[in-house]
Amino acid sequence: MMDVKRVISKIEKNYIINNLRKQERIDGRGLWDYRKFKIQSDIISSAEGSADVCLGETRIITGLKYEVGKPFPDLPNEGVCTVMAELLPLASPLFERGPPDEQSIELARVVDRGIRHADCVQTKKLCIKENEAVYILFIDMYVINYDGNLIDAGGISALTTLISAHIPEGKIENGNLEWTGKYFTGESIVNELPIVITYGKIGDIIFLDPNLPEELVCDGRISISVTEDKITSIQKSGAATFSIDDLKMLGDKSLEIGKKLRKDLNLWQYKAKYK
Amino acid sequence: MPLIIKDEYPEVLFREDGKRLDGREKNELRPIKMEVGVIKNADGSAYLEWGNNKIFVAVYGPREVHPHHLAKPDRGILRVFYRMATYSVFDRKRPAPGRREKEISMIISDCIEPILFLELYPGTSFEVFIEVIDADGGTRCASTTGVALALADAGIPMKSLVSAVAVGKIDGKIVVDLSGIEDKAGEADLPCAITWYNKEISLLQFDGNMDLNEMSEFLDLAKDALGRIHQIQLDALKSKFLTIQEKSDEIIVNKENQGES
Repeated sequence: MMDVKRVISKIEKNYIINNLRKQERIDGRGLWDYRKFKIQSDIISSAEGSADVCLGETRIITGLKYEVGKPFPDLPNEGVCTVMAELLPLASPLFERGPPDEQSIELARVVDRGIRHADCVQTKKLCIKENEAVYILFIDMYVINYDGNLIDAGGISALTTLISAHIPEGKIENGNLEWTGKYFTGESIVNELPIVITYGKIGDIIFLDPNLPEELVCDGRISISVTEDKITSIQKSGAATFSIDDLKMLGDKSLEIGKKLRKDLNLWQYKAKYK
Repeated sequence: MPLIIKDEYPEVLFREDGKRLDGREKNELRPIKMEVGVIKNADGSAYLEWGNNKIFVAVYGPREVHPHHLAKPDRGILRVFYRMATYSVFDRKRPAPGRREKEISMIISDCIEPILFLELYPGTSFEVFIEVIDADGGTRCASTTGVALALADAGIPMKSLVSAVAVGKIDGKIVVDLSGIEDKAGEADLPCAITWYNKEISLLQFDGNMDLNEMSEFLDLAKDALGRIHQIQLDALKSKFLTIQEKSDEIIVNKENQGES
């Protein structure tokens, strides 16, 4: 059992801050290091795609389900991709039962926006017939263990889930919706891989991938989604303030870290094995 | 609406060689894997793979009761929350808990309560969270089995473990551990659990039809299977400590080696 506390003592807070001032972290990392990612894909046989992502001790299991429904009237030839997150009370004594709270909605929305604005999911390919039938994809993230930085773990798990997708291919014949007998895979609907990168801030010190004690004592966080060469979404949360120079530096840093992470994780290896 | 409407139920549930559709004998269980201590934040936890079922269980407690008015001055309370992930079933489940989940939570809670010494923990609660992330028939039995493991992992005093399994009737023959398709297409389904300290049945439901002879056959078959499940539970609990033992042995060996050099 890990020691999870709602309130961190002053002495522990000072210890964390003093370490950060010396460019050190309580778990031995440098300021700009990620914890270790551990990824498994296609683990749920009932889902059309799934991923089990660990970032240090933070663990998120994500699954993909689909439905065929009517498109939005203003986007008649585009499918829909929605992201939902549940912070299970199983994952931490800090999480409570009940309908989604602010934290889980923020997680879902930040991951969703990172994907939505990055030309990641090719929604036009999710159209079966204009104005009539499109795919609605549900990416549902379940937090199994919480040890800080859900957003980055969630972002990677949502991407891996999409890449591992294998969805039945539909057609409209004589006005009826039918299955062609084939599947299409994540490879054919995913284009760019947006990676969301979260930094914590305590005082004037900024650091990558806050773990739980750091997240509990930090003044605030900022999450930046990046593609290969562009920033696609930003979310500042908590009571911290960031200077313009900080933001410029973080923009640069994010592109650099994103490139490295994209290469290290090599997410395309998780594409569905069959078609 | 999903595209593929699942095929109609198969007409026969046995293959020509007399085995079941997934290749099992009548009294054979699906492959079962159990592990404890998988969720670091929880006081106790377990992960089960039971055929295609994949289930996480976490136990928190004894801890303060929320909301406070549920607390009992003379004893602790046990609360079980069985939930299924939206993607654990063929048609996406709605995210909010449904009637089925609430009922199963209750019967698992009632099943587990006899093995605990709740009277020793007045004013507190034990909370058990079950998350089914992949389902293929028999999740309530697998969950109950997992809850017993997670409670033991949490070090909560217990009279004994609890093991659970479903027996049923398919194509007129009595079989153990129904898979999803056998459960839906079969004639009868009897999930049951045993508390080992008194060897009595603590969870029992039945759907279908049976005569008295069949009932005793059901229960005999269940008893035999439950014994095997109990053994897997014990092995899972022991292996946690064997792993710790191996690690400490390793450290000792490393230290000795360092001393020599």
